[in-house]
Amino acid sequence: MNAAQSWIVVADDAAATGLVEVARTLGTEVVAVVAGRRAVAEAVAGVVDRVLWLGEPGTAPVEAFAPDVARLVAEAAPRAVVGATTPGGRALLGAVGAALRSPVLAGVERVELAGDDVVVTRSVLGGISQHRTAVAGGPAVLAVDAGAAVAVSDTAAAVEEVAATPLPAQVVEVRPTTVAGVDLGAARVVVGVGRGLKAREDVALISGLAGALGGEVACSRPLAEGVDWLPKDRYIGISGQRVSPELYVAVGISGQLQHMVGVREAKVIVAVNSDKAAPVFAQCDYGIVGDLYQVVPALTAALGGTA
Amino acid sequence: MKIVVAYKWAPNPQDADVAADGSVDLGRAKWAVSEYDPVALELARQLADATGGEVIGLTVGAAGIDTPLARKAALSRGLDRLVLVADDALDGADGTRVAAVLAAAVRGIGDVDVVLAGDSSVDVAAGQVALTLAGTLGWLGLAAVSAVRVADAGTAGLVVERELPAGTAVVSVPTPVVLAATADAVVPRVAGMKDILAAAKKPVEVLSLAELSVAEPGAVLTTLATAKPGGAERTARIFDGSDAAAAATELVGALRQSGAL
Ligand SMILES: Cc1cc2nc3c(=O)[nH]c(=O)nc-3n(C[C@H](O)[C@H](O)[C@H](O)COP(=O)(O)OP(=O)(O)OC[C@H]3O[C@@H](n4cnc5c(N)ncnc54)[C@H](O)[C@@H]3O)c2cc1C
Repeated sequence: MNAAQSWIVVADDAAATGLVEVARTLGTEVVAVVAGRRAVAEAVAGVVDRVLWLGEPGTAPVEAFAPDVARLVAEAAPRAVVGATTPGGRALLGAVGAALRSPVLAGVERVELAGDDVVVTRSVLGGISQHRTAVAGGPAVLAVDAGAAVAVSDTAAAVEEVAATPLPAQVVEVRPTTVAGVDLGAARVVVGVGRGLKAREDVALISGLAGALGGEVACSRPLAEGVDWLPKDRYIGISGQRVSPELYVAVGISGQLQHMVGVREAKVIVAVNSDKAAPVFAQCDYGIVGDLYQVVPALTAALGGTA
Repeated sequence: MKIVVAYKWAPNPQDADVAADGSVDLGRAKWAVSEYDPVALELARQLADATGGEVIGLTVGAAGIDTPLARKAALSRGLDRLVLVADDALDGADGTRVAAVLAAAVRGIGDVDVVLAGDSSVDVAAGQVALTLAGTLGWLGLAAVSAVRVADAGTAGLVVERELPAGTAVVSVPTPVVLAATADAVVPRVAGMKDILAAAKKPVEVLSLAELSVAEPGAVLTTLATAKPGGAERTARIFDGSDAAAAATELVGALRQSGAL
C-alpha cells in the first residue's frame, strides 16, 4: 500500500472541494483521477498534486469510465480513495470498492489517521447512530459530500492523459433543468413543507411564510420526488440537502428520521402539524398542533407579512 | 430478456431503540421489502412484459431474511421466481461484500441482461450496493434511472432516462447493465389477494454461501466507538393551534425572546 498517497475520483464535476479536503487529511500527496471533460481536469489540477485524465468523454456517460478508474486506483494502492455521493461519484466508487474488495463508507463526518490506519467517524442507519470505524489492511474508500467548486488557481499540476477504454454507452439527449439552483446551506431561515400540503398552488402559502421570515422554501422528499411540486435541490434529508440554519420550520412534515437528519444541526426547530402524535414534535423546540392552512397564514400575519 | 431485481429485506430504523452510547437495538424494528425496492420490482415487471422476459428476485442477508412472510412479500410483487442467499455469515455485511455475493449469484443465475435495484435501502440508505455490484461484475452501472425501455428495432440494448442534477439525460445502453431506479420512477403495484396466493406457488431457490465463489475482503473494519448523535435531543414547547392567531402570536413572541428571530 502506498501510504503517502490519497486519491480522489472525480466524476465530471469540478465541485470537489469536499473530496480534496478529506484526501488532504489522509495523505501527503493527493492524486486525482478525472473521468469527464478536460475543463474539469484542469480545474481540479489547481488543488491537487497530480491529475490523471481519462480523455474527452464525448457522448459516453461518466459511469462508462468506472473500470478504468478502478484499474488505476488498484494499481496505485493508495491509503484512501475519496469520491462524491452523486450518482456518478458512487458509480466510480463502486468500481473502486469492488476492485479493492473494500467497503465504500458513506455518511462520513470526520476522518483522521491513527498510525497507518484511516479512522472514520460516520453516521449509520439513517443517522440514528454514529460510529468511529478503523479501516485496516487495505485502502479506505470514502463517499463524501462533494462540496463547492474548486477555487481557480494559477499554479496547477500538469494534466496527464491516460488511455481509457470506456464501456459502450451513449448519452443521446440531455434536457437541462430550467429551474435555477438554490443554496439552502446559506439561508438563515428555512421553511420546509411536507405531504401535509394538499395542492401545488398552496406552495404559495409556504413562500409567504418564508418571505416573512426572510428565509428559503424547502420540502420533504415526497414533494420533490413523487409529486414534483418543488425542485429536487430543495428537499432536505439523508438523500437530499443537509442544512444548519438558525431556524428551521417544518410544516406538515411527520418527522421521519430520513428527513430530520438533514436539519439536526439547525439551532431552533419549529414544527406545525395537525397530528399531535407526529414524531416531529419529539424533535423540535417549539410546536403548534394545528391545521397548517390556518396556522401558516396566522404566523405570516404575526410576523407582519402578507398571508 | 432475463431481468434480476436485487432487493433488500430490511429493518426500518425509525423503530429502533438507540441507547445513550449509540448502540442500536433493532428488536422492535419492522422488517419489510425495503421502501424503494418495489419501484425496481415494478419497473422490472413492466420491462419484462414489454419484452416477453422473466423477472427473478434476488436478495442476500443473514439467515433471518428467509421467512415465509419475506418470500411472499417479494414474490407477490410481480416476480416469476426468487433466488436467496441467507447465511448468518452475512449478518451486518458491508455493501461491498453484499455486492460480491449478489454478483456471484447473478453469475450463477446466468445470461442475465439487466439487474435492477431501488434508489437506496431504508436502513443503510447509501445507494451504493447496486453500483458496487456493477463494479464487481465489470458491467455498466447507472443510478438515478427514471425510465427504461427496449431500444428501437434494429438497435440492441435499452434506452434509459436519468434524473441528474443538471437535468434529464437519455442514455442508450447495451446489456448487460445494472440500473438503480429513482424513488419515483413508477408507482409500484399493491399486491392483491390473488398475487399473494400465487406467490406461494412460485419457485424459490436457496443458494448456499459456501458454494458461491466470493473473494475475501481486502480491508477490515473495526468499530472503535459508537455514540448517539448530538443535536438529536430537543424538548418541545407545544402551543395549541385550535386558535391559530393566538398560537402564532405566542410562537412569534417566544422565538423573538429566545433570539431565534
Ligand atoms: C432510503 C430512504 C431515504 C429517504 N430520504 C429522505 C430524505 O432525504 N428526505 C426526506 O424528506 N425523506 C426521505 N425519505 C422518506 C421519509 O422516510 C418519509 O417518507 C418522508 O420524509 C415523509 O415526508 P412527509 O413528512 O412530508 O410526509 P408524511 O410522512 O406523509 O407526513 C405528512 C404530515 O403532514 C401532517 N399533516 C397532514 N395534513 C396537515 C394539515 N392540514 N396541517 C398540518 N399538518 C398536516 C400529517 O399529520 C403528517 O404528519 C427517505 C426514505 C428512505 C427509505
